[in-house]
Amino acid sequence: MPSVRASAGLLRRAQNLAALLGILMLAIATSPTASDGSRIFLQAGNLTDILRQVSLIGIISLAMTFVILTGGIDLSVGSILALSTALTAMFLTRGYTTHIAVAILAAIAAAALAGALNGVVIARTGIQPFIVTLASMIGVRGLAKWLTNNQNIDIGFGKDLAAEFAGIFREKAIVIGAYAGAAALFWVVLARTVFGRYVRAVGDNEKAAKYAGLPIRATKIWVYTLSGLFTGFAGVLYAAENHQGNPNAGVAYELDAIAAVVIGGTRLSGGKGSISGTIVGTLIMGVLTNMLRLNNVDSNVEMMIKAVIIVLAVAVQRERNGN
Amino acid sequence: MGHNRSLPEHLQAVGITKRYGGVDALKGANFSLRTGEVHALVGENGAGKSTLARILAGSTRADSGAISIYGAPVEIATPLDAQRLGIGIIYQELDLFPNLTAGENMVIGNLHFREGRLVNFRRMEEFCRPFLRQVGLSCGIRQTVAALSIGQMQLLAIARALSMDARILLMDEPTSSLFDDAAERLFGLIAALKQRGVSTVYVSHKMDEIFRICDRATVLRDGETIGTVEMAGASVNQLIRMMVGRELPITARAARRVAGETVLAAEKMSTAKLKNVSFELRRGEVLGIAGLVGSGRSELGAALFGIDRIKSGTLCVQGKLHSPRSPRDAMASGIGLLPEDRRLQGLMMRMSVLENATLAVLPKISGLGFIHLRQEFSIVGPVARQLALNCPSTAVPVSQLSGGNQQKVLLARWLLLNPTVLFLDDPTRGIDIGAKQDIYRLIDELAAGGKAIILVSSELPELLRCCDRILVLNEGRVTAHYDARDATQEQIMSAATNAEVRA
Repeated sequence: MPSVRASAGLLRRAQNLAALLGILMLAIATSPTASDGSRIFLQAGNLTDILRQVSLIGIISLAMTFVILTGGIDLSVGSILALSTALTAMFLTRGYTTHIAVAILAAIAAAALAGALNGVVIARTGIQPFIVTLASMIGVRGLAKWLTNNQNIDIGFGKDLAAEFAGIFREKAIVIGAYAGAAALFWVVLARTVFGRYVRAVGDNEKAAKYAGLPIRATKIWVYTLSGLFTGFAGVLYAAENHQGNPNAGVAYELDAIAAVVIGGTRLSGGKGSISGTIVGTLIMGVLTNMLRLNNVDSNVEMMIKAVIIVLAVAVQRERNGN
Repeated sequence: MGHNRSLPEHLQAVGITKRYGGVDALKGANFSLRTGEVHALVGENGAGKSTLARILAGSTRADSGAISIYGAPVEIATPLDAQRLGIGIIYQELDLFPNLTAGENMVIGNLHFREGRLVNFRRMEEFCRPFLRQVGLSCGIRQTVAALSIGQMQLLAIARALSMDARILLMDEPTSSLFDDAAERLFGLIAALKQRGVSTVYVSHKMDEIFRICDRATVLRDGETIGTVEMAGASVNQLIRMMVGRELPITARAARRVAGETVLAAEKMSTAKLKNVSFELRRGEVLGIAGLVGSGRSELGAALFGIDRIKSGTLCVQGKLHSPRSPRDAMASGIGLLPEDRRLQGLMMRMSVLENATLAVLPKISGLGFIHLRQEFSIVGPVARQLALNCPSTAVPVSQLSGGNQQKVLLARWLLLNPTVLFLDDPTRGIDIGAKQDIYRLIDELAAGGKAIILVSSELPELLRCCDRILVLNEGRVTAHYDARDATQEQIMSAATNAEVRA
């Protein structure tokens, strides 16, 4: 029986990986070729482009996995990302500071605070996370627009502080490294720490968690704070990559992040899921996007195809898991 | 009984098999039911009783085997098939819609109540009333089910089955959450239905009930039919031997214990549900709490454990005033509580046995927030052995264990935390006899080791077996207080049902 269980778990993980491998092979097969006959998809530049493109949603979806594991949801990440890009650019271009680190920390701190506010309201009032984060999705977007007068704040290409910042943080190695580091961190926290265990326990059965004396409120406040914090970090990377603070950035990012999480096998009802699944889910979406773009598929058609993939991926998992 | 032996059996099931994943729930089980008999289906948890009942009710499909009714082969693929064949089931966890009314619950999916697209409440009332009267349920059809007591819900579920013209009633542990008076009413109803030729399959662990109301019993063990016996010529020990393959002493009474210092003292304690409750509890003592469901027995635990707020009076733990505001508070003062509903309030069903057991002690086996995985694994072993926990590995999800072993996992959580006072709320509810014995033994051991234990139970023999003293609650008040050696079941019952105060 233990071997049966173990192999069932292995099967589930393998199935995620198999889906990723399937899409990779499809991408290789359909890839246009360069003048030297090699497949463009497989070029190192293209592969690292994919990783860089998924990094921001990837970082957000790691924290989203924790939120969803507790049985919650965070719809405010897109707005929080916009707030973070705006604050980063404001600090760097308006002479609020002469240190890049201060600008970054300020943006991340504000984002973490927004997340903490989500967490406190959810934990204290018991209002559904969907509603609380829907409200902050609207409110934080408003804050970002208000702070910037609804203007993009451009980061130049010269020699000033802002340009220096963008030069560093748009490096592929930095962006991909940040995603890899965050992924490792979340994986370790979920697998090895008391907090990670509490996250799963609260999502599995909140009432039982109460009877076991677990710190339910603190756990919830922390997952939303982490969601805000890491989304803020993604916002910093966004500002560097796009050379601007943009109060309208990140629209629908929450949906992309949730999609990556559920494709990765985490259940929206909470209690069951994994960081490795979310990473695979993120990569599946990234490779798919890249494949379609290399083949010049209309971006509207791309959305329709993604829709099908999301439903298909979750349907297959439900069937295999017997529920 | 007026049974004519030349008639074919009312229902016959032959060679039923069912596999779940890699586990054989049924391995060619046989079962036959005579018309108008009450037939017990007994066996330890995991023996396959519930699976067999679900297959007969069409909610689970057998992998192989044949079922016939009055000799004619039938196929029961869906609950609707079962309804057409006159088979009704009353599940242990009643499958009613809590937010719908009694009437709506009775007519939903009922082939015998055909309506247009709009509901006609008068027709619904006319349809339901005879069946409600037949089962002796006095609620109106517009009453929301969530507002009914568990006993009333059970009667409603039976009324629904009867309104579907059920000739065979399957009851899966119907008295597991009933106190004796509601159970008594149920037995009367079963007897009345029997007179009208309704055949009943009665799944239960309770030997006294089975011997009282059943004509025959079929024993299952590990998915196989061990045999069918006439109750008239059978003994409890014989049935138990068939169930477990060995004999168990079930009436042995705990030795008198030597009580130590007082660790818990309530003085005129009142909460929203309790009124002026006073009692003391010493180390090494087991205090039983008897009372009907809703008498305040679970609410006593809620008060001790920081779930309900104490509004007046005092509660002292080890001499210190105790007014817990959360289970965390209560646990910090050395109080543990095994909740009444292990699935709802106790276990994380998607987590492993190990993770469930260590959940409350993680801070003690971690450093800088990191769990010491080796230590976590090593502390569970001895406790699992002490509890005689039977599972293939502590890495399996707790949902794969039988009810008795699930309860042991939850007990393991509390043993690891090692509280001074342990409140056990109906710990043997719905679990098999072997696991019950293990829990009785554990209670004895814990008391001998100096723990103070409060035991709530719906089964009076269990209280008399395990406790030193018994407190009887009725409508939130203490109505009697006995030395367990002097008390009788009749006395306790009368104190639990009458408001008259005795001390």
